[in-house]
Amino acid sequence: MTDQSMGPTDIKRVSVWLAMHGLADVRPTPLLATRLAARQRVRLAAAVLPAAFILAVALVYSVDRPAGAAVDGSWWYRHWSLLVLTLLVVGLVLAQSLLGLWVRRVDRRAGAVLPRRAAHPVRLGWRTVLGGPRAAFAVTTFAGAMVLAIGALTVQDSTARYAALILLIGLCGVAVGVVVQLRHILTHPVVADDEVSLTADGIMRAEDARDATTPTVVWCLPVVSVLDTAPGWWITAWVVFVALGAFTLALITVGTALAARRRGDATSAAVNR
Amino acid sequence: MIVIDSASPVPPFEQLRAQLARQIQDHTLAVGTQLPTIRRLAADLGLAVNTVGRAYRELEEAGLIETRGPAGSFVSAAGEQGRERARRAAAEYAAVIASVGIDTHEAIRIVQAALTNATAASPSSCLATSRPPDGDLP
Repeated sequence: MTDQSMGPTDIKRVSVWLAMHGLADVRPTPLLATRLAARQRVRLAAAVLPAAFILAVALVYSVDRPAGAAVDGSWWYRHWSLLVLTLLVVGLVLAQSLLGLWVRRVDRRAGAVLPRRAAHPVRLGWRTVLGGPRAAFAVTTFAGAMVLAIGALTVQDSTARYAALILLIGLCGVAVGVVVQLRHILTHPVVADDEVSLTADGIMRAEDARDATTPTVVWCLPVVSVLDTAPGWWITAWVVFVALGAFTLALITVGTALAARRRGDATSAAVNR
Repeated sequence: MIVIDSASPVPPFEQLRAQLARQIQDHTLAVGTQLPTIRRLAADLGLAVNTVGRAYRELEEAGLIETRGPAGSFVSAAGEQGRERARRAAAEYAAVIASVGIDTHEAIRIVQAALTNATAASPSSCLATSRPPDGDLP
């Protein structure tokens, strides 16, 4: 691959990305352009996927529950909807896995044509890629959402219990999807041919891991079912949970950006040395 | 960082072995550091599993790494102990040289001759230490 294989859009995209990560002095390369273009497409698909999942879950819930009626319907009807929900969850996890596989295939093809290959002698662990605070935040968010969903199962109203069950299934599906994505991110081979591309590989991995663990779907999932039927205390608890989560995520994001800027300055100095 | 250049005349396993050996000897990789699995490093560097396996085997034979079953390969303390032993032997040799009144240049020539003989006798045992590091790969 040569510089001629990159269009102006590619060069601009790579330059902006490098500048964002404190590597403004590094020349855009076709390897980076290929990998960033694949990630941009996948990010778009990965954003549409949860939205489609939430819509589909809402549709199943609405079809299954006629307006104003308690969900004490027939056994077959209830089981049909749970089966569809399970299939939706499996579909979400499968689609996320396929997106991860596609990115890995693009990376593998880009790496196959490199005359030189570079790698770390010590594998980057989850602490380096995701960071302790983000990992703790993701685990706490899922655990908190699960506790609240189980809490909603204890109410007397059967409709509310059914909605909580749907939330619980959805949360399990999202959790499995995140674990599968993280596994892909942490285990797929490094694609680099020098120190700069090795640094870029690490940054891309960290970005992918952060995207995968941002709990947007978790926060949105109760809107589909539970908020319609849950008691007041539950809705208040969920709003506080989301507000605290958003505040914590903002703090972690700002902290990470400041640390990355400090590291970026050091990396630029090292690259230019 | 480890770099493997497919255009280099040096075989890939030797490039990998020499770079890991150098990083272990200059303490870039500390004693007890876990190395990637053979399969994982092979995937990262676009090499065959056997190529990485051969490099690991030679590093193990040289005492620079040790494999602890399924836990993986780790930088061994044996290399560090070997250097400490060599330093003690050198101090004893220096004391002998001083006591018999041999001058420094001759003492160094004696050591060089002994090293040449030892290298000729067992070339494989000196793989990790006698070859110059090839960090400046083309």
